[in-house]
Amino acid sequence: MNLSHVIAGHKSPGNVPGNPEPSRAVRLSLGWRAWWPYYVMIAPGLLFILIWDYIPMYEARMAFEQVRIIPPNIWVGLKQFQTLFASPVFYAVILNTLIISGMKLLFVFPVPILVALMLNEVRGGPLRKTIQSAIYLPHFLSWVVISGLFIALLSPSDGAVNDLLKLFGMQPVGFMTNTGAIRWVLVISEMWRSAGWDSLLYLAAIIAIDPQLYDAAEVDGANRWQKIVYITLPGIAPTIATLFILNMGMFLSAGLDQVFNMTNDVNRSTIDIIDTYVYRIGLQTGEYALGTAAGLFKGVIGFVLIILTHLVSKRLTGRGVW
Amino acid sequence: MLTKRLLMAGTALVTTLMLAGTAFADPVVIRIVAGDLQPDDPASERYIKEIEDGVKAMDGTEVDIQMTPIAGSGYADKLGAMLLGGDIPDLIYFQGGDQKMVEQGILVDLNPLIANTTSLKNELYGHNVERMKNYPYLVYDFPPRAPQPVIRADWLEKLGMAPPQTVDEYTALFQAIHDADLDGDGTPGNTFGLTAYVNTNELDDIFNQAFGVTGTWMKDVDGQWIAGRVSSAEKAKLAYYADLAKKGLFDKEYVTNKFDVKEDKFYTGKAGVIFGSSAETVGIYGGKMAAAHPGETITLTLLPVPKGPAGQGLAAVDVSKESRGWAISALSQHPDVAMKIMDFLASPAGQIVDRMGFEGVHYTKAADGAVTVTPDMATWYARFSYAPSFKPPVEWRSQASLDFLASVNKWFAADNSFVWLADYAADVDAAENVYRSWVAKFITGEAGMDQWDAYVKEWTGAGGAKLTDYARTILK
Repeated sequence: MNLSHVIAGHKSPGNVPGNPEPSRAVRLSLGWRAWWPYYVMIAPGLLFILIWDYIPMYEARMAFEQVRIIPPNIWVGLKQFQTLFASPVFYAVILNTLIISGMKLLFVFPVPILVALMLNEVRGGPLRKTIQSAIYLPHFLSWVVISGLFIALLSPSDGAVNDLLKLFGMQPVGFMTNTGAIRWVLVISEMWRSAGWDSLLYLAAIIAIDPQLYDAAEVDGANRWQKIVYITLPGIAPTIATLFILNMGMFLSAGLDQVFNMTNDVNRSTIDIIDTYVYRIGLQTGEYALGTAAGLFKGVIGFVLIILTHLVSKRLTGRGVW
Repeated sequence: MLTKRLLMAGTALVTTLMLAGTAFADPVVIRIVAGDLQPDDPASERYIKEIEDGVKAMDGTEVDIQMTPIAGSGYADKLGAMLLGGDIPDLIYFQGGDQKMVEQGILVDLNPLIANTTSLKNELYGHNVERMKNYPYLVYDFPPRAPQPVIRADWLEKLGMAPPQTVDEYTALFQAIHDADLDGDGTPGNTFGLTAYVNTNELDDIFNQAFGVTGTWMKDVDGQWIAGRVSSAEKAKLAYYADLAKKGLFDKEYVTNKFDVKEDKFYTGKAGVIFGSSAETVGIYGGKMAAAHPGETITLTLLPVPKGPAGQGLAAVDVSKESRGWAISALSQHPDVAMKIMDFLASPAGQIVDRMGFEGVHYTKAADGAVTVTPDMATWYARFSYAPSFKPPVEWRSQASLDFLASVNKWFAADNSFVWLADYAADVDAAENVYRSWVAKFITGEAGMDQWDAYVKEWTGAGGAKLTDYARTILK
């Protein structure tokens, strides 16, 4: 049922001269009657977001307080932020976060799109299903397992990758302890884990494209590549734009679980990110207020980034997240 | 006369009622939280029941110990969040994060309570006593955790070597292991003399004193306090580690090893020597090694603390505070009863429960009273106390475990580290990360020892200077 039809139907008498427009209350009531099953369906999700994402925001005030287990907390203003910005490693941590997030955005973000495009071109049903299942699988592995896998694969003494390098007469490389290589290990492992799963959204968007467009292109003599460039990609552009904007909001979340499990004494200075720093300072040493201040800082930057990207996208493409 | 009789009868009645009241009074509820004690675990339930019975038998106190569930890994983090949320049990086991709780005033000074105990006050180790003077909020009645190296006795014999007594003899042993084919893969030269995990803490335990790293803070030639981390003794020690790694005697991949990987390399013969952190761990290594090689008779030998160019001994033990242990909440209505539980567990009767587990499961008792341990004993460990005077009715620990305890007692030396104020948390974190990073770079060969000055400069800039200035105001 379409709300505009319902309202239009009820509005029709209003079009008759002399009949007033239905009031806001009437329109709300009509809307509710038409859409209530959908509202009920969405309610648990909204409730979940409210409880876990919005109500906890109130506790962000902890960033401005000295936390007391036995209340009340003591207001300390910006002291936690001053301590944070005075930390000898905080700027290095921010720089690491920006570099790693930037690399992931540049190299990981496009991969699911490519995977979806390629999967869409696979014609054989069973083959396609097998490939899909295989590439979704890594998504369900925890970073503890994945990091163990990569450490073993990349081991300089008996890892498969270094065995290959040795086969070609090259010197083994300690990828996990090489400050130049470790960020690429993060990018590639992230790609391996998420490319298949993240391609689902794009695949769904591709399936939603009107097949008649492809038929028409076929009649006009378009080849596969031209169909991808002129039909598929423009068809999924709104999805790409939306996901890009949402990704920008998460720009400073460079991957706590992943980095935490792949960090060691050698590479820490290269991949220590805001999240691992917050975990170490905030949770492990019990400096909850300092950790909250760092988390809040990250949240505000993320919020600004998402708004900016939305506005830029709106101006350039006419599409945003709302 | 009647009045007198009534008075006597009344007194008798009141006394009887009071006694009956005591007898039927509700037991004192003590809430306890520890990662190893979970209410849905039958072993935990039985353990708690035996403690309750033991405390009652000790002095008649009826206590109802209620376990607080904290499931899964990350106990220290979850405990911190739980306490911060205002849920504060009476008896709390900390694995870190206790300092914040002390700052909040929610932990009691244990010294007055311990002074009133019967057993615990006499069963503390030297380092416990020192730690309690500096930080009276945690008690952990166990020998200091001082990792020491072990090797398979048959490997030592196969190599034709005696246990090494000096640093040079250690190097020779590592070389011999490296050149041998302990893993039996037919390729000599691919075995590490020594492996470790995550960092070099374990190695430091026997090599610090040998190279002159006598404490966290040391005096330089001008008599000024400097951090041991940037001393010339530290440089000499790290140069030794780097040399071992360069020769293939020390596993360069220690930095990515997890504890299970370290153990696996030992059990499969890819590394000849590993460190055990406690007497129990050494016993467990022996059991696992035997299980990995069924049909072979395998025992482990504890290797001695080596004499080096600058001295001999185990690394100085931090006595600024317990790094883990038991605390009592300042909000507890019955801190005395909470302490009674710990006192019971340090007593001979409590030690039977805490050190030996359950009769019929971990040990059996014959009609004549003879005690025999079962294979399940290998999975049991003390939670509260490892009382030094306790003599178990039967000795089940391996010789290597007993040697471990003797060595810890023989080489105990107190460190001069102290508890940092919260304002220094970020600097401690930054300076320590710089140190750890450079240690790994030196050992893996990414940096040469000629870059020592660059390391010291970075460490100084990353909070090291600030920490040193503060240390100089604390140390005499």
